[in-house]
Amino acid sequence: MARVVVIGAGVAGLVAAIRLADAGARVALLNKGTGGLQLSQGTLDILGYAPERVERPLDALAGFAAANPGHPYANLDAELVGRAADYLCELVGPALLVGDPAVNLQLPTAVGAIRPTALAAPSMTAGACVDGANFVIVGLRQLKDFYPDLVAKNLARTDLPGGGRLSARHVMLDLPARAGEVDSFGLTYARALDDPAYRRRFAQAIKAVVGQGESVGLPAVLGVDDHGAWAELSELIGAPVFEIPLPPPSVPGLRLNRALTARAKASGVRLVPGSKVTGFRSSGGSVDSVQLATAGGDRTFAADAFVLATGGFEAGALSADSYHNLHESVFDLPLRRPEGHLVHGDYWGDPQPLFAVGVETDHTMLARHPGGDPVYDNLYAAGGILAGATRWQEKSGEGIAVASAVLAADSILAAASTATTQGAAS
Amino acid sequence: MKTLSADVVVVGGGSTGAGVVRDVAMRGYSAILVDRADLGQGTTGRYHGLLHSGGRYVISDPHSATECAEENAIVTRIQSDAVERTGGYFVATPVDDPAWGDDWAKGATETKVPFEEVSVADLLKAEPRINPRISRAFKVEDGSVDGWQLVWGAANSAKQYGAQILTYHRVTGITRDGDRVAQVICTDEKTGEEVRITTNFVLNCAAAWGGQIAAMADCPDVQVVPGAGIMIAMNHRITNSVINRLTYPADGDILVPVHTVCVIGTTDQKADDPDQLKIDWDEVQQMMDCGELLIPGFRKARAIHAWAGARPLVKDSRVGSGDTRHMSRGMSIIDHSDRDGLKGLLTIAGGKLTTYRLMAEKVVDAMCAQLDDPRPCRTATEQVPGSESGKNYVITHRLEEREHDRTDDQILCECELMSRGMFTRALQDQPKGSFDDLRRQLRLGMGPCQGGFCTMRATGVALETEHIDIERATGLLRLFLKNRWIGIWPILYGDQVRQTALDNWIFQGTLDVEHLPGPTHEEVV
Amino acid sequence: MNAAEGLDFAQTEVARASLDHCVKCTICETHCPVSAVTPKFTGPKFVGPQAERFRHGESVDHSLDYCSSCGACTLACPQGVKIAELNSQARAVMKADHMPLRDQLISQTTLMGMAMTPVAPLANAALSIKPLRNVVERVLGIHRDAPMPKANTQTITGWLKKRKKPTVKATRGTLIFFHGCAGGYFEVETSKKSIEVLEHLGYEVLVPKQGCCGLAQQSNGLFDGATQKVLKLCDELRASGRDLTIISSSGSCTGMLKHEAHEIMGVDDSRLADVGTRIRDIMEFLLELYDADELPTDFKPVPLTAVYHAPCQLKSQGMGQPAMEILGLIPGVEAIESGATCCGIAGTYGLKKEKYEIAQAVGKPLFDKVKDVNPSFAMCDTETCRWQIRKGSGAEVEHPIFLVHQAYGLS
Repeated sequence: MARVVVIGAGVAGLVAAIRLADAGARVALLNKGTGGLQLSQGTLDILGYAPERVERPLDALAGFAAANPGHPYANLDAELVGRAADYLCELVGPALLVGDPAVNLQLPTAVGAIRPTALAAPSMTAGACVDGANFVIVGLRQLKDFYPDLVAKNLARTDLPGGGRLSARHVMLDLPARAGEVDSFGLTYARALDDPAYRRRFAQAIKAVVGQGESVGLPAVLGVDDHGAWAELSELIGAPVFEIPLPPPSVPGLRLNRALTARAKASGVRLVPGSKVTGFRSSGGSVDSVQLATAGGDRTFAADAFVLATGGFEAGALSADSYHNLHESVFDLPLRRPEGHLVHGDYWGDPQPLFAVGVETDHTMLARHPGGDPVYDNLYAAGGILAGATRWQEKSGEGIAVASAVLAADSILAAASTATTQGAAS
Repeated sequence: MKTLSADVVVVGGGSTGAGVVRDVAMRGYSAILVDRADLGQGTTGRYHGLLHSGGRYVISDPHSATECAEENAIVTRIQSDAVERTGGYFVATPVDDPAWGDDWAKGATETKVPFEEVSVADLLKAEPRINPRISRAFKVEDGSVDGWQLVWGAANSAKQYGAQILTYHRVTGITRDGDRVAQVICTDEKTGEEVRITTNFVLNCAAAWGGQIAAMADCPDVQVVPGAGIMIAMNHRITNSVINRLTYPADGDILVPVHTVCVIGTTDQKADDPDQLKIDWDEVQQMMDCGELLIPGFRKARAIHAWAGARPLVKDSRVGSGDTRHMSRGMSIIDHSDRDGLKGLLTIAGGKLTTYRLMAEKVVDAMCAQLDDPRPCRTATEQVPGSESGKNYVITHRLEEREHDRTDDQILCECELMSRGMFTRALQDQPKGSFDDLRRQLRLGMGPCQGGFCTMRATGVALETEHIDIERATGLLRLFLKNRWIGIWPILYGDQVRQTALDNWIFQGTLDVEHLPGPTHEEVV
Repeated sequence: MNAAEGLDFAQTEVARASLDHCVKCTICETHCPVSAVTPKFTGPKFVGPQAERFRHGESVDHSLDYCSSCGACTLACPQGVKIAELNSQARAVMKADHMPLRDQLISQTTLMGMAMTPVAPLANAALSIKPLRNVVERVLGIHRDAPMPKANTQTITGWLKKRKKPTVKATRGTLIFFHGCAGGYFEVETSKKSIEVLEHLGYEVLVPKQGCCGLAQQSNGLFDGATQKVLKLCDELRASGRDLTIISSSGSCTGMLKHEAHEIMGVDDSRLADVGTRIRDIMEFLLELYDADELPTDFKPVPLTAVYHAPCQLKSQGMGQPAMEILGLIPGVEAIESGATCCGIAGTYGLKKEKYEIAQAVGKPLFDKVKDVNPSFAMCDTETCRWQIRKGSGAEVEHPIFLVHQAYGLS
């Protein structure tokens, strides 16, 4: 039975760990932090802008990869990406993620822009920005991260991607999440909305302001552990309801994170959260073990294969010191680094070269020297650590993460079964 | 077109101009101050915030040292709201000769700069992060000051005495009637309207831009050399006192705690155009090295913002034009009546913020002399609005305020503990203000997240007011993000890279601000 | 560093420098069990890295006292901000001038235990008499309903003296056992069963004379006293042998030795470092044996479905939840993870008058889960948590070692 250590519990790490454990590997998932799902939308982006707005992301992948040499999608073809997206849907279930990876949804943002994404929470899809849509955007006075007038007015004055316009108006309701609090963050509302009694009061207040034929846009706080909360709200209000993602804490992201974490535990993955991997040992071209800096001293985790899924600069997986030396924080892997300046002063201009820095891999997801050979024969990389993509701009983060995670896991399983076969044969 | 009139027009709303218009108004003249931008966007808003004890100049410029010591005490009292009594130290680092401290102490005594030699052990106890290999230390009465609070304090005092403060009024011409100034012509940058101010006297306090203003009055060749320097704000107060190197003034030898940050500065490069100041990576590295000398581990600390300011230095035939540090920082007053045959125009250049009140006194005295109308100065005796209690700023202020009002009021900028009420009040005062205008009053977006979380909140709250429509609100959001970046990208390393990545995930990844409905024109003010 | 420097350390801040890593991502806030149940606490991000930029030797934000020091924030932070440590230090600074008498009393856990034991039945009775508890609440601020430990008639030392010596020969070497105050005086059964399991595995177990780790004092800001205690304990544990592994069944006391004394109080002593690296929580130790294929897994079936709660101060040691895996090896046992960040007691937090309601609210989802899954039995590795869960759910709550003990046929 192969032993695998996965480092990083973002969507890439979790997907890889689950896939490996389900196939019979003994998996330890080590992570510092909670992954990035809580910081992002809670949707699955495959490709949103190439740089023009993309309607059919899987169709656009090959061309996009060709136009952006060194992009992770060069190693992850449309078939794999589509399959990985479907795999994620299987893992979390249709209460948390729906859609067709071949067609982008165009959904509203909390500032009233329209943003493409491939798969979304079912609680979001009624917000699709199509010609003739009729929205009332409802804000909550005690929630400072959502301004319904900003959303409604910008949506209403936008020429829609598919043509035409939608109409949107706004209402601000005085609806505290809990008594005595005027400054509640999104999760406080989400917890309150897990309570059926609160839900009923909430729905009543909204129902009173919704007009005939309107769909109700709300901030993405519609329950956290109760995945049916939004649907019940819709029923009680008597109108379609959709939630609009907010800056962190992302409740939809949190739902996904909890679901994937529970799934990982159920699959028998050993989760060891809260400590950093601070060292490793290697011999004969393979990584033998990693050192985990727990309280009271390092603990060693030996394995046959390792998956580095530690994220990008935001996670501290990659860093730039005050001399602009760039560093990958666990294995000190060689990084693909641009020629010339790492940053420039044009905020609305080209993407900053710094954020395309990362680890290169071969076509099996083995981390490799830029343009060269694998660094170790059993160290794979997946997700935000991969070089060559400005994920927030392209809207490609989760697509790259799940596809690379699936590929890394499958490569490990293939290598393990080859070894077994060889072992059995010898 | 609009026509106004006043006895005196003050051009330039930095510390000099604000101090001058206050003094002018207090002496009973009607006055209008104009600045092409917000107050304090020139040098005053772009220095490190030090209210000098005078210790820096005891050897290099003894006259300034004495002036600083005296004015420090006055400003600390009359603008108490804007001044924090941090105290300061002059410290001999491993590369400084501790024996120089003897000369320094002698100079401080002679110039009447209060000081006290302290043991290195006491220094380390007070400031545990400082370089333990410091060999000698002197305690002084440095303070730190919020440059914008300072100028607005003075400006609000002037308003109390009837003056008008017209920000975003760009001077485009100064006309004369015979041998006297007649009118100052401006453009209101927010509306595009032309504004003509009929006046008897113009006080050109435009500092680094003073030459450009004088030229508009047909008084050419006023040589003000911009001595540019960069400053870097570090995320938290690594020290709570000002730290100065015990040496002849050099680059990067001051670390100043101001509000929640500490600022390291500064460099010295002659610039050609005060509107085109760059921040070079080499200069940033230089400041990092200077910081490391004072605070071991400085390079691992977090830099959150950088800026460049231009000292307005009068060209002096004694020094080479390249070496701006040692040009006189003393003030000079150019009387254009003899030089250019124009009565009613004085150009003021040079000086330092600590002595701004004294500078203003001398300028207005000079004006009174030209008018043969002597009137006494009272600026040293009266507190500006907001400082009546005499209580100096302390760093715990906002934390205490929020502890008391957070159950009634939301906190929009969490990093800097700025409440919603503070923001809406500031918007009421400046309905046409950009978020940067408001930022200077409130510190919105000036903390570690650099607007990551508060920009959208500010936009939403602003939109709820009657003066701001969706186009302007969206434009203000875009402008704020663009402007914040100017001071972030030159120092983007370490922790701030992580922050920028997260902020990008929020603005582009979640909010998709790049694809907001396009503006017909970008907001610029 | 000596004891007097503890508070100085809090003011001079190693945790403070870590605030630079905070990117305001809110992940810590989503994990905080206290801000989840009350608006009185502004949350770890606010009280830690955010407010610290506004402090200069004082903490004017008294609401920071609502922090229970559960450590969930530091554990969850992806950037490495020492949030819980910052909060603990800021609280120590805040309370330095006005430490309530109550906080000094509750922190003397050894003395409390020692004082209670010889007259245990009386002490227990007194602890359950309402009028007496009301007086205690008014005078000291300890809530009248706060869960209180039941004193044992016999201490661990007494048991060790009186029992028959173990018959299984020690073949695997020697271990040192650290029982903690509760394990010595209140929850002696846990210590007994732990020692018996270790002896069953073939170890010789030494139990040196030992005092308190100082955790209760540290969490109440009494840094000087805590530092004295923890260093004395280190001397006592080291006296039995320098290379021996130290085993403890007191989850939070283990944490004090592994990291809290250093991270929060800045104790920088080689004796502490030595003990901190040699100590293992007992379930952690068993899992290490299992990973090395050295743990006998000839467990008798124990048919039991019950909630297991990993205490916050155990989770914050960053080793995952070894108890869950060990319990999974026992046939018949279905251990259901509590899913709760914290049971609410957080050491001495939940005993206090002004924190009691909050602590109960924090623990409620956990109590409800216990009642739902198995209202008569639950497991948890820390003593104060067991008292809290017992009180809140009515279930018997024991250390998971009890099941291992039973599965090995020792009970």
